[in-house]
Amino acid sequence: MMLDLSTTKAKLVFFAVAAAIGFFLFFPVYWTVISALKSDNELYQIVPTAYPHAPTLDHFKTALTEGQLPKLLGNSLFVSLSSAAFNATLATYAGYSFAKYRYFGRKPVMMFMLSAQMFPFGLLLITIYPMYVEWGLLDTRLGLILSYIVFALPVATYMIYSYFSQVPNELIEAARADGASDLRIFHTIVLPISIPPIVTVFLYSFMWSWNDLLYSLTLIVSDDKRTVAPGLLLTYLNETNADWGGAMAASLMAATPVILGFMFLQRFFIQGVTAGAVK
Amino acid sequence: MPTDLSQAADARTFRPSPHAKRGGLRAGQGRFGVMLLLPALIAFSLIVLSPFVQALGLSLYKYTISTPEPIFVGLANFKKLLADPTVRGSFVTTAVYVFFTTFFSITLGLAWAIILNEPFKGRNALRGISLLPWIMPATVSAFIFGWIFNSRYGVLNAVAMEFGFIEHPQAWLSTTSGAMTAIVMVKVWLSIPLFMSFFLAGLASMDREQIEAARVDGAGNYNVLKDHILPHLRPVILVVVVLGMIGNLQQFDSIYALTGGGPVRATSVLSVEVYRRAFEQWDIGMAATIGVLWVATILPPAYFYLRQLMKGAE
Repeated sequence: MMLDLSTTKAKLVFFAVAAAIGFFLFFPVYWTVISALKSDNELYQIVPTAYPHAPTLDHFKTALTEGQLPKLLGNSLFVSLSSAAFNATLATYAGYSFAKYRYFGRKPVMMFMLSAQMFPFGLLLITIYPMYVEWGLLDTRLGLILSYIVFALPVATYMIYSYFSQVPNELIEAARADGASDLRIFHTIVLPISIPPIVTVFLYSFMWSWNDLLYSLTLIVSDDKRTVAPGLLLTYLNETNADWGGAMAASLMAATPVILGFMFLQRFFIQGVTAGAVK
Repeated sequence: MPTDLSQAADARTFRPSPHAKRGGLRAGQGRFGVMLLLPALIAFSLIVLSPFVQALGLSLYKYTISTPEPIFVGLANFKKLLADPTVRGSFVTTAVYVFFTTFFSITLGLAWAIILNEPFKGRNALRGISLLPWIMPATVSAFIFGWIFNSRYGVLNAVAMEFGFIEHPQAWLSTTSGAMTAIVMVKVWLSIPLFMSFFLAGLASMDREQIEAARVDGAGNYNVLKDHILPHLRPVILVVVVLGMIGNLQQFDSIYALTGGGPVRATSVLSVEVYRRAFEQWDIGMAATIGVLWVATILPPAYFYLRQLMKGAE
């Protein structure tokens, strides 16, 4: 709408740039999908085929039956759902508190919590690790779930906060005039209208936990508790073996849950994430 | 207890509007507010704040696998680090990485947003699938590019040989510049969708009449871009630059999964360096010291970003 594409030259430039960026964005996805569908014979050729000539689901089957993948996916699902629920709950109450109440120290605390997004995650891990050893949380799912506060809580709280600041005070004050307690008002009036932002924050936290490699690689030691990102790394690309077909198939399956969640919630999600930065 | 919450019924259809009155409730009940905050605050203090403070403190200690208890050494770690060329190298690597990732993801994200802002059939679908790289686990993205860059069967080698750029397959990830190019490409690939979203949100608030008026005055695409679109997006660009820098300074997963910091130290940015020192060499004190310097590099953009975020807050 903003460009004038009536001349041939303008059209050419527009489509050339669009094609180049489009290629960069989508070719890797295409290549992953077709590589996962090729047989090993077809995969390991010096001159690769542009599409699978004999598509097969073997890599998917092998990944699901012989490898650790179902176990990894299960572990990740449990950890990510729990940490998303935990973060979304904490963020919802904290965000509401920041948006609607005034008390001593509110602004500095809020500022400080937000700034935590910029603490280097790797630096925190250095002390979380010995702390977990001491608390007996190392190599436990609970420990990993709690650790994802580092990634998700600050931004999640801000997202919820910016939503609640838009909720008109009259709504709450009217209910107060009717004699409802603030806790009851929050649970029966404010929460029901706030499902979209809460779901957004849930998905945001879920995505961080699901995609994380750094913390899950370090804080989980035993194989039976391993989650999907470190699991993929340790299974498919190790010193002795590189099973690229399997890696591609497993990658696609590992990405599926976040992609599905995203498809439904894309619009809310973008609004939530860009909130505050774009006015 | 009141049973008549009839006003609540209206609330169900409520949509937040930019015109609604914002800000805190008039009447106090600050104590209740503090109680709502408490769970998050406790969790935050235990898992984020206290480790952070402790990590800063550890930079003053010698704490390695051979010293079961940390030994206070003051600023000795810092002295040692500043004299250590590998750490200086790590800072240079990080600077290169952050510069190129930030520059390319913003340029390409902006171009892609401008393209997807034009009306054409299938635009919304394209916007949707453009988000794919962003939601992919970084490990998966590293796999994807590792396969493309593969030294024997990678498609990059095949295409480069087909066009006669190279004669034999190259082990791209075993060279300093090849490995750096690869980790930058992965991060740019991951970042374009997010930045595109920011720019699309910024473009949506553009005044079309202003552009049409400029067109009538004979402005071409280049002038519209330079004199109208870019100035309008200036605040968004600033935020995205800062956000991009913070994110790129933090990036670990995709780098570690793709190159592990190698070959040798070629892609050992600060995040990887800290991880290697702490969890491969178990030199916690030195890792913390590098971490402190790392925090110092994040602080300026972080401060700017926070100020921007808190501007809207009362």
